[in-house]
Amino acid sequence: MNLNIKADKAQTYDAIVVGSGMTGGWAAKELTEKGLKVLVLERGYELKHVEDYKTAMKDPWEFEHRGKIPIVAAEEHYATMYFSAKEGSQYLYSNDKENPYIQKRPFNWIRAYHTGGKSLLWGKHTYRWNREDFLANAKQGLGVDWPIRYDDLIPWYNYVEKFVGISGQAEGLAVLPDSNFLPPMAMTAPEIHLKKSVAQKLNRPITIGRVAHLTKPQPWHTAVGRASCQFRNRCSRGCPFGAYFSSLAATIPAARQTNRLTIVHNAIVKEIILDDKAQKAKGVRVIDQNTLEVREFYAKLIFLNAGTIGSTSILMNSKSARFPNGLGNDSDQLGRNLMDHHLAIGARADIEGFEDDYFFGARPGSLYIPRFRNWGNDKRDYLRGFGYQGGASRADWSRGATETGFGADFKKKMTQPGPWKINLSGFGEVLPNPNNRFYLSEDQKDKWGLPQIVFDADFGENERAMRKDIMNDGAEMLEAAGFKNVVPYDNPVAHMGLGIHEMGTARMGKDPKTSVLNKFNQVHACKNVFVTDGSAMTSASNVNPSLTYMALTARAASYAVEQLKARSL
Amino acid sequence: MNRREAVTHVAWILGGVFSAPTLQAMNRWEQIGSQATALRQSGSFLTETQHEIMARVAELIIPRTDTPGAIDAGVPDFMEVMLRDCYRKPAQDTFLAGVGALEQKGFLKLSADQQTALLKQVEAEAQKTSDSSFWLITKELTLLGYYTSEVGVKASFDYQPIPGRFEAIKIKPGQKDFMYGNQA
Ligand SMILES: Cc1cc2nc3c(=O)[nH]c(=O)nc-3n(C[C@H](O)[C@H](O)[C@H](O)COP(=O)(O)OP(=O)(O)OC[C@H]3O[C@@H](n4cnc5c(N)ncnc54)[C@H](O)[C@@H]3O)c2cc1C
Ligand code: SF4
Repeated sequence: MNLNIKADKAQTYDAIVVGSGMTGGWAAKELTEKGLKVLVLERGYELKHVEDYKTAMKDPWEFEHRGKIPIVAAEEHYATMYFSAKEGSQYLYSNDKENPYIQKRPFNWIRAYHTGGKSLLWGKHTYRWNREDFLANAKQGLGVDWPIRYDDLIPWYNYVEKFVGISGQAEGLAVLPDSNFLPPMAMTAPEIHLKKSVAQKLNRPITIGRVAHLTKPQPWHTAVGRASCQFRNRCSRGCPFGAYFSSLAATIPAARQTNRLTIVHNAIVKEIILDDKAQKAKGVRVIDQNTLEVREFYAKLIFLNAGTIGSTSILMNSKSARFPNGLGNDSDQLGRNLMDHHLAIGARADIEGFEDDYFFGARPGSLYIPRFRNWGNDKRDYLRGFGYQGGASRADWSRGATETGFGADFKKKMTQPGPWKINLSGFGEVLPNPNNRFYLSEDQKDKWGLPQIVFDADFGENERAMRKDIMNDGAEMLEAAGFKNVVPYDNPVAHMGLGIHEMGTARMGKDPKTSVLNKFNQVHACKNVFVTDGSAMTSASNVNPSLTYMALTARAASYAVEQLKARSL
Repeated sequence: MNRREAVTHVAWILGGVFSAPTLQAMNRWEQIGSQATALRQSGSFLTETQHEIMARVAELIIPRTDTPGAIDAGVPDFMEVMLRDCYRKPAQDTFLAGVGALEQKGFLKLSADQQTALLKQVEAEAQKTSDSSFWLITKELTLLGYYTSEVGVKASFDYQPIPGRFEAIKIKPGQKDFMYGNQA
């Protein structure tokens, strides 16, 4: 291995951001806009907005396997492929064979190692957490108390929402606080019927999904080159219109416009280099993913945005005399309280009637049913709650595979819209549990010599109890609408990681003895290192988390720059 | 609930409605944990006669009418590519056994009516089990191959690669299904 350590000026920046995904993009934007010279280190390959979305404009017949993943690719990408990637999007998913990990208990670790990270994969559902989400741990004596409250985040939610661009309908609900919305997407006729029936009979609100798509671009959106959503629902192949929010389409271009951004690709951050005397980080050590060359970069400020598992594992790998068990790990909380949302559970039904109702366009979003359990006067024998995403659409030609018949009439029938179907899929909160964790393997390494991650986490009693309600309540709502053949389902494949919202492992808290980060996402014991991705979460809520990560990142960046200017970092 | 249904629900979460053939592929990936390695052949998967049989079967499922049929859309060749690249050995074997059975019955020498009657039998047989069968694989590949081909799409659907808006509408008499090209 060629050690090429040049402590010269060229390797020194004001701030280093590790990772260019959802949160790294925000760190880069905020820090550059506040005048800092920023280096973003990205472990994956360079993906260029628009020009590298090579499949985005392809027609179905231009794919050799018409969307299916060849078996060899499926084997190599097993954890991720079978559940969301297709022929047109597989290039955005990381290869498990090249990036192995160990499952002491089953865990699907879905990764996107390239510019933009998982901001190119996400479903774009974007919800604020509510007031109770930040109080629940303290009230119930679980995990630790959040060091912040909803009010601390309001200005930052406002700030990031405007830039992101979120379509949705204001409802004035305490359980699902409104964001700053662009016009909502439409509901289909059976969806409107469901909304009315459920409001009338069960007194539960249903709203249109709040998704990060530009339905009416504002000047600050077009200023970075984004345009209106075209309703083609090919988002998983990359959006050449920049119509959905990703760091590639939005935050990175904004950071570039400052001329203070440098991005280095293929740079796997191995560890943080500690200045023992000052008890501060002075830089990071990086392995080139192709050449294995080791390099160092230096900065006054370090933001870890490598994704929940990525960032925490960098802290774990950063061992020193002061931190023998990983940087900032005085509390032994690094890697613990790994959370996710539990899903693959809900109810579905056939819809009779509405034969004359149809829709034009492919909507990249669905309905949203906010949490109603353990809320207000409702009390269950488990803690916390769940919400649903789902919607109705008409079956297409693929229904023919399981329908009887073939020949000329059958062929013609498949060209007509099929019957309506509906599905409600629940997203449940997972409680913090110190025994749900990941750690570094002592003997298994990857090809870069880094210890493999060992996952050891599962759902507990609380999650299992909640699942019964998710099924039954889903069915109850479909029945309230008079839909037919209502089937509640619980998918045995559900386990940790599949919720794709991995959170926790370097939690925020008031007390350095029980938490890794303080209320500004700053490592308690190493003040110039900030961790602002999902690692920081103290509990998991039941709504999608990325908006909250973004708000936390913008808030932490603002604080960090203030501290730098005050010379207290 | 079986695996196939299960995965549909996961698929829904992402707002995507997976096609039946895709779900079949997912079923197979389930088994990937086992040691068996994929059969990756170059060249032809079927013998010439078997290829001819499958072309005939596909054409009976989606015949040429006032619009092109399965053969016009290149379904027979597509089937071979798919079987070779996207199916594991057990499914390939199931499929080959099915073609073999048709071959033994002298399928190509039967009259059109006899062929149709035979396939109806095969279909009825397949419906007795929830396992993947020769018939299910064949039908899925024929539908996938046809309804995502250029001729199939253009002849069958109102193809809207860039709709530009989303709105609830009423159906017009004889309205064809919209197709958005988001299935790959
Ligand atoms: C299919 C799918 C659907 C989703 N849908 C939703 C949704 O609807 N709503 C929602 O809120 N969330 C959703 N999510 C989750 C969302 O994508 C993540 O919460 C979000 O991307 C996390 O942001 P991040 O910055 O922490 O990580 P990422 O976006 O993954 O970015 C991390 C980056 O760091 C890089 N990196 C990792 N390790 C290193 C290292 N050692 N050195 C240098 N760089 C490194 C990676 O290559 C990557 O680019 C979804 C996720 C998936 C996979
Ligand atoms: S649906 Fe909208 S966001 Fe998705 S790819 Fe099309 S234009 Fe882009």
